[in-house]
Parts: sequence; C-alpha cells; structure tokens
Amino acid sequence: MPKSTFIVIEQSYIIRKGLISLIEKIPNTQIILQIDNMNDIDNVLNHDPDFIIINSNLLDKNVTDYLSKNAENAQMILLSENHKDSFKEINWVENILINETQNSILKKVNKLIGNHISNQPQRYTPDEISEREADILRNIALGHSNKEIADKLFISTHTVVTHRKNITRKLGIKTVPGLTIYAILNKLIDLDDTS
Amino acid sequence: MIINKEVKMADVIHTNYFTLSVLNRFGIELGFGDKSVEEVCKQNDVDLDFFLDIVNTFVDKDYFPKKHLQTFPVKLITNYLQKTHNDYHSSNVPEIEELIEKMVDSSQTQKDNIVLLKKFFNEYKEELQNHTNREEEVVFPYAHAIENAFYSDKIDKSVIELMQNYSIEVFQNEHDNIEEKLFDLKNIIIKYLPQPKDVKLCKKLLHELFSLEQDLNDHARIEEKVLVPKIREMEEIINKRFSEESKNA
Repeated sequence: MPKSTFIVIEQSYIIRKGLISLIEKIPNTQIILQIDNMNDIDNVLNHDPDFIIINSNLLDKNVTDYLSKNAENAQMILLSENHKDSFKEINWVENILINETQNSILKKVNKLIGNHISNQPQRYTPDEISEREADILRNIALGHSNKEIADKLFISTHTVVTHRKNITRKLGIKTVPGLTIYAILNKLIDLDDTS
Repeated sequence: MIINKEVKMADVIHTNYFTLSVLNRFGIELGFGDKSVEEVCKQNDVDLDFFLDIVNTFVDKDYFPKKHLQTFPVKLITNYLQKTHNDYHSSNVPEIEELIEKMVDSSQTQKDNIVLLKKFFNEYKEELQNHTNREEEVVFPYAHAIENAFYSDKIDKSVIELMQNYSIEVFQNEHDNIEEKLFDLKNIIIKYLPQPKDVKLCKKLLHELFSLEQDLNDHARIEEKVLVPKIREMEEIINKRFSEESKNA
C-alpha cells in the first residue's frame, strides 16, 4: 500500500509533536515535513504531500489565496480550537479540534486515508506490478529513455512518467540501476541484455 | 534527549551507540569513567559548543543548533566533515566491499545476483567519491574564503565576485541525493534478493549499509543546519558591508 504523506504546520511545539505522534500510529503514514510558520510556503508545496494539516491561527487572506490556487493536489485539513466556518476559499476535507480525543482524531484521519487510497486511479495488489508496468520496467532496465519507451509502446511520454512513478512507489526502488537489478532478479531481462 | 555539557560522556554512547564514530572523529578515546562531556572535551582539547552541536545533530534529527551558530570557526566544521569523508572511504566502504566479496565467494546458486549487487555498489562508491571530491574541491574552499573575508577589515571586490559566481545557495540546490542508491540497495536486499546461504553475511552487510546511511544522513544534516546557515549569514553581512564601504569610499 502506498504511504499517505502529511505536512503539519502548527506553531505550538507540544501540539505539533502530539499530533505527529498520533498520525504516526496509523500504518502507512509518513510525516514529510513539520514547520511552525508560513514563511516558506513554496517549499511546502514542493514536497507534494497528500495532506496538509494547518492551524487556523496561521491563516490569513494571502495564505488561503495562495493555497487555494496552488495546493490542488493536497487535501487540506484545518486544525483549530473550535469549529470554524471561515477561510472558505479552501476546500477543507476535515476539521480537527485541539481538544479532540485520540480516538476521534484517529477515526477522522483513518477515514481520510481510506478515501484517499480508494480514489487513486490505479490500484494493484501491493508489491506487485502490472504487466504493463513490467513492460515499462523492462525497457527502463535496458537503458531506454522515456521518449524511446513511449514511441515503442505507442503511448505518450507523460504516461511513461506516470508508470515510472507507480513502479518506484510499489517497489520502493528509486534509481535506474536499482530497477535494473530488480528486473534481472525477477527475470524480466537477462543479465546479458545490459552492457 | 538533548545532550548538554553536564551529561556523562558514557551516557552519550548509551543513548545512541552510533555516536562512537562521532567521538572517534574528535579523537576522543574510550575509558573516560564518569567524566562529563565538558570534562572530556577539555581533556581532549575539543571545542565544547561545537561537539555538543555535532553530537546533538547526530542523535536527534529535529535538533536545530540556532544559538551557537556564531561561536566556532568554519574550519572546525569543514575539518569534521572532511573526517567523515575519510571514514567513508577508509572504513565504511571497504567493509561493505569486503562483505559483498565474501558473499560472492560463498554463494553457489546465485553468484550472478551477488555480482550484480557488487557492480551496483561499485557504481555507488564512485558516486560517493565524486560527491565528496566536489565538496572538498569547491565547497570547503569557498566556505573558508567567505570566513576569511568576514573577519577581514575591508571587503575586497574579489570576494564579491566570488560570491556572484558561486554561493552557498548553489551548493544547497546542487547537493545531489547520494542516499537514494543506498536506499535502493537496502530495499533490494531486504525485499527482493533470494536469501543467500550465508544469512549471517547478509545481515552484517545490511547492518553496515544502515550504519553508512546513518552517517551520511548526519553528514547532510550538519551541512544543512550548521554549515549552510552560517555561511549564508556571513554572505549577507559581507554584501551589506561591501555596499556600505563603497558608499563611504
């Protein structure tokens, strides 16, 4: 199962650490960044998280405008003391309250992760790659470029890139030499094919 | 735990025994009894603040050594980083190579696979070498030049030109991710390699890979949290001083 990635933006050290330790209790979650201010918001979005949790005290018009325009891929979770109806520019998927119980927060986050995963376009059994992905992987291992693979398989380079991302995510292998070894170990290609 | 000067040096190692390699780089030998970090540092002529920053960065990945940024010279940092480079090339890497070599020798059914691992690690070794060379040839000398300018009476125009051609920001952006291949290697062994006959060797190899990874991560954190912020601050001050000096001239 792919990991759901989180960024937590909260000024209070205690609350931030507490929330993080709660999220980390849920399997297949990963905190990729934790910060206490909004000064470096570009950097936040560069991480391409699945979820951003942000304290309402850190929001103002500039921030919400920026997020609503630029954070399309991330699901936004509002952290606040009371239920909030403000900052409507952002499409909040959930509202976590500071004084909420552990179970209630776990339930909310679990539900979000469940939705997130079932909404993903491609879904295969873990650790296994599809036949199409095996085709792509074979070509990567043979040293072909994205463009060459695209031409050969009559698909767009964009599709090749998407396949590559999925392969890396499923196998936990990021580099081309690493993928090549995987391909050889699994007899997708022969050792003699690479030179 | 945040390590302060009153903590016993022995407890530093109990907290995280990987700190042994840190102590080694500072030339601190074992057998310090119940002496505190401060006492041991004094005895070994080690800068206390610097030691604390390094060891805390090592132990706690979220540690951020803000307040000591100004106190110790850049040379201390680059010397330490240089020593970590030496450790990679003289200790970590050869040990891993030896283990892989032994695995090749002891394996019968899947020699080919282990030879593949070996090839992969050789490529990695080369990458690591390039990485450390670049730091030693470009980044460290640049950091020293900035420090020298920072402490000089007058900002020379050549320093400004130097900063226009290269800055610590460039280093931060070009800093390639040398952990990725190591990560792949670990995952291949853990997840995909058919178990070799000699499981012990395989476990030892993994242990060494994890240890190298830990050292590399620490190395990167020291650059990111100690060296880069310090140089960046110096760059800013140099620029400011230079524009003021040229106004007054």
